[in-house]
Amino acid sequence: MSERWDAIVVGGGHNGLVAAAYLARAGRRTLVLERRPLVGGAAVTEEVFPGFKFSVFSYVVSLLRPEVIRELDLPRHGLQILPLESTITPLENGDYLGSWSDPDETRRELCRHSTRDADAAVVFGRLMHHMAMAVKPILNMVPPDPASLAPGDLRGLLKLGGHFRSLGAERFHALHKLMTMSSADYLDEWFEFDALKATRSASGIIGTFLGPRSPGSAYVLLHHYMGEIDGAFRAWGFQKGGTGAISDAIAGAARAHGAAIRTGAAVERVSVRNGRATGVLLAGGEEIAAPLVVSGLDPRQTFTRLVEPAALPKELVDGVRRYKFRGSSGKVNLALAGLPDFTCLPGNGPHLRGAVSISPSIEYLERAYDDAKYGEFSRHPYMDIVIPSMIDPGMAPPGKHVMSIFVQYAPHALNGGWSDAKREAFGDAVVKTLAHYAPNIESLILHRQVLTPADIERITGLTEGNIFQGELALQQLFFLRPVPRWARYRTPIHGYWQCGAGTHPGGGIMGGSGRLAAREILKSAS
Amino acid sequence: MSDRVDAIVAGGGANGLTAAAVLARRGARVLLLEREEQVGGLSRTVEFAKGFRVAPLGTDPGWLPPAVERALGLTALERDGRDLPLSVSVEPGRFLTLSRDAARAAEAIRAHSAADAGKWPEFTSRLRALAGFLEVLYQAEPPDVDARSVAEMLSLLQLGRRFRALGRAGMIEFLRTLPMSVWEVLDDWFECAPLKAAVAALGVLDHAQGPRSGGTAFVLLHHLVGAPKGAVRGRPRPGQGPSAFAGAVEELARRHGVTIRTSASVARVRVKDDQVAGVTLEGGEEIDARAVLSTAGPARTLLGWVDPVWLDPEFLNAVRNVRYRGCTAVVAYALDVLPDFPGLAGREALAGTVSLTGSLEALERAADAAKYGLASENPHVELTVPTLRDPGLAPEGAHVLVARAQYAPYHLRDGASWDAARREALADAVTKRIACAAPGFASRVRQRAAWSPHDLEERFGVPEGAASHGELALDQILFMRPLAGWARYATPIRGLYLGGAGTHPGPGVLGGPGWLAARRLMADRRPGRAGG
Repeated sequence: MSERWDAIVVGGGHNGLVAAAYLARAGRRTLVLERRPLVGGAAVTEEVFPGFKFSVFSYVVSLLRPEVIRELDLPRHGLQILPLESTITPLENGDYLGSWSDPDETRRELCRHSTRDADAAVVFGRLMHHMAMAVKPILNMVPPDPASLAPGDLRGLLKLGGHFRSLGAERFHALHKLMTMSSADYLDEWFEFDALKATRSASGIIGTFLGPRSPGSAYVLLHHYMGEIDGAFRAWGFQKGGTGAISDAIAGAARAHGAAIRTGAAVERVSVRNGRATGVLLAGGEEIAAPLVVSGLDPRQTFTRLVEPAALPKELVDGVRRYKFRGSSGKVNLALAGLPDFTCLPGNGPHLRGAVSISPSIEYLERAYDDAKYGEFSRHPYMDIVIPSMIDPGMAPPGKHVMSIFVQYAPHALNGGWSDAKREAFGDAVVKTLAHYAPNIESLILHRQVLTPADIERITGLTEGNIFQGELALQQLFFLRPVPRWARYRTPIHGYWQCGAGTHPGGGIMGGSGRLAAREILKSAS
Repeated sequence: MSDRVDAIVAGGGANGLTAAAVLARRGARVLLLEREEQVGGLSRTVEFAKGFRVAPLGTDPGWLPPAVERALGLTALERDGRDLPLSVSVEPGRFLTLSRDAARAAEAIRAHSAADAGKWPEFTSRLRALAGFLEVLYQAEPPDVDARSVAEMLSLLQLGRRFRALGRAGMIEFLRTLPMSVWEVLDDWFECAPLKAAVAALGVLDHAQGPRSGGTAFVLLHHLVGAPKGAVRGRPRPGQGPSAFAGAVEELARRHGVTIRTSASVARVRVKDDQVAGVTLEGGEEIDARAVLSTAGPARTLLGWVDPVWLDPEFLNAVRNVRYRGCTAVVAYALDVLPDFPGLAGREALAGTVSLTGSLEALERAADAAKYGLASENPHVELTVPTLRDPGLAPEGAHVLVARAQYAPYHLRDGASWDAARREALADAVTKRIACAAPGFASRVRQRAAWSPHDLEERFGVPEGAASHGELALDQILFMRPLAGWARYATPIRGLYLGGAGTHPGPGVLGGPGWLAARRLMADRRPGRAGG
């Protein structure tokens, strides 16, 4: 290629694509380089088995920043979120706990288990809504550096201080509690019904090596409420055509603005001369020059693989070394000959159009965590199950179905390491646990894809298989993400930037990191 | 009482005595009420075998902040500057002993890991700097973030001399460290398992969580306020004997005119028109006063002593939600001779702290049980021999060995209770653990006494057996302690103050909460108000 580029984005994950789209939109000749044959990173749709399409890794969406949707005009490029209408939690006693799109129905259902909780849920929902509103501006904020005296940072700090002041005492305290407590303790203050607490807690542990009793797990509860404040019908939704279609929509927007995307192009190194990025070197030896290189990969790849860490400040390299990935979840994708029959709600029904959460009690989740703490996968894991073909029939052949099972915990650092046998044993544990609640499942399975954190790492390149490019723990958020002083998307190398979920605001199909990074890049150039 | 009283202080521990002395020093007529026969709180000793005494919760003397010393006008207490090392069992017959002298400790570590030995001095000085930062925060009322702003807190932090020494990068390090688990912190530094376990044990001291839990790095720093350079455990004790501080403040309080009544247990705080009117004692005696400062736990004071009609339901709910979660049992042994721990370097080590838990994983596994309301099968056990410092606690030549065992959760699964059988079973498990490290230990025991968290609550008034008076979790410290919005010692009832370890700066800061609460009480007091 003899073309000249203003910017190269390394990695065609959704954040890389978002950054590229914004750069292209601002008139920069931008090239995205993706190692795999398709873009999307962990947000891809693949026909894993003939006729059966899967959102292989990331499977639901709720956090995609509305600014990104709006500014990149994503619906025009194919974004179409179908609501996930319900969640049911099968209970050990054969009953279930349901939550439905109709709030009155949800309330009636909760009353069946605890009228006290049904009342508390109303007040709780209101508080979470306010908390989500309080956090929202922070998601759109470039983190200020508290150690810096630069005017921009001081302005940022003042803005942040002003924001907290504007919350008022009560909400500030509530936010502090959410940020620091364990989800079990936090929910104990509100509710009594164990399965309700467990199911809500589950959202606080997804993608993180924490149990519901681990301090720091409470704030992810907020994520369930983030979607709603942007006017969406339900917090969680499912993209028509799978999550890969979201990546395709962003890629479409990027192309429409003139960006080029090359797949099958693995970047080996970022070329650096005199402390300045000059382009990239591809695995095949091809060199592509550009004065601007933006890495959408995680911090370990960005700072210790793509460039020579010896050329970086020691505090940055030490910080990256300390940065925790610890992938803790796996994925099982099933091609099914028919629909599962849950003992608690037999037959077909609206519940199969929503999520099924295997989280019968806090103790169940905590014990699942205990297994992983000591290096084993959970014998009885937490599972979040959806059947996308119920909402989007195009995902499977007529009459057949695809089932996506998010599984926790499966530690990346498994005792003795992951092997084919261990992967199958893990898959067996998942199916066996599910069969406890839906006995016909085993007879329905046509194909099974089991993805351990080691597989996620191998396929997507995400270090240690962490789906958020690093844990969303308090000490790794905001101005500490990924490393103090280097949380503003720039790096010590001129022209080399970071835009992955390893930067603020972090993981999930959010697009926030890509957007803020592009904004900072464009600001520094102007 | 025939005399009028300006303020009643409920509780005669370090905080109650300090509050009473500070108030009286400023001219208030103060009555101090103590439930037990003696004042002294956790430093009080009990005779558990003939001639053998022990302070079950008094093994750590705590930190006496200079500001409290100044407020009391206390100058004569000398610090016991002995090197009280921390030892940890590596394997049967082998211990690692960490002297407070970082160079000496590094020498000992070298036998296990040269890399760790090299990092040790820097590690301890980092800890010192971070704990020093807490020392600044602990000698003032908690920063009031709610009413004003984060900027106020930042500026407050900047004012601290120690903070300036720590620098801006240090502050970020401080903020980054607090929510971490002590496990992560230690993994970032070291490779030697027993070394990590030795340090981590302080991060879970009286804390119903394991070393993997976020916030245990803060707990570690909290217990290191006032520790000397190089130390990863223990503070120099002010004065001679376990009750030296309490004794000195008691004397001071009396000198300033405080009336001290022991065996006087508060049953109610009487309120009239949202204003304290006085207290009623068990037995019915009524004492009038316009101000009451309670050093009992927030729950006992606000749920037990005050008629709920005076408090808002949401406030009461918040009080109910304070987590205590006592998880420590104490076993004391009366011994004719010192036990022999093969591999442990003699009397010096036994005078310090000896931990029998040699890995983070063992510590974490012990903690797991508590999550499910069970006592650990292999409890984490720490030993001290107080008679090596204070021979008077036992007959000549004899010794007392105190074992603290975690985890023994106050709330047991399925509503089970801490009866004698359960307590003795735990004590047996502790004895067994000790005997593994000191063969023949059991035969040297003349007598044994054990306290479950329930016993500790009953005997020492610590809520749910938690000497912390409230779990040291990030949502229960600083401006959140004891309750969000009520961290400055006052309560919704005029004249009622909280000043126990359940308030900022919390447990182990001798007289800190009591002093700050007394100061708040005096600042609120206008002519004709608290004085009646």
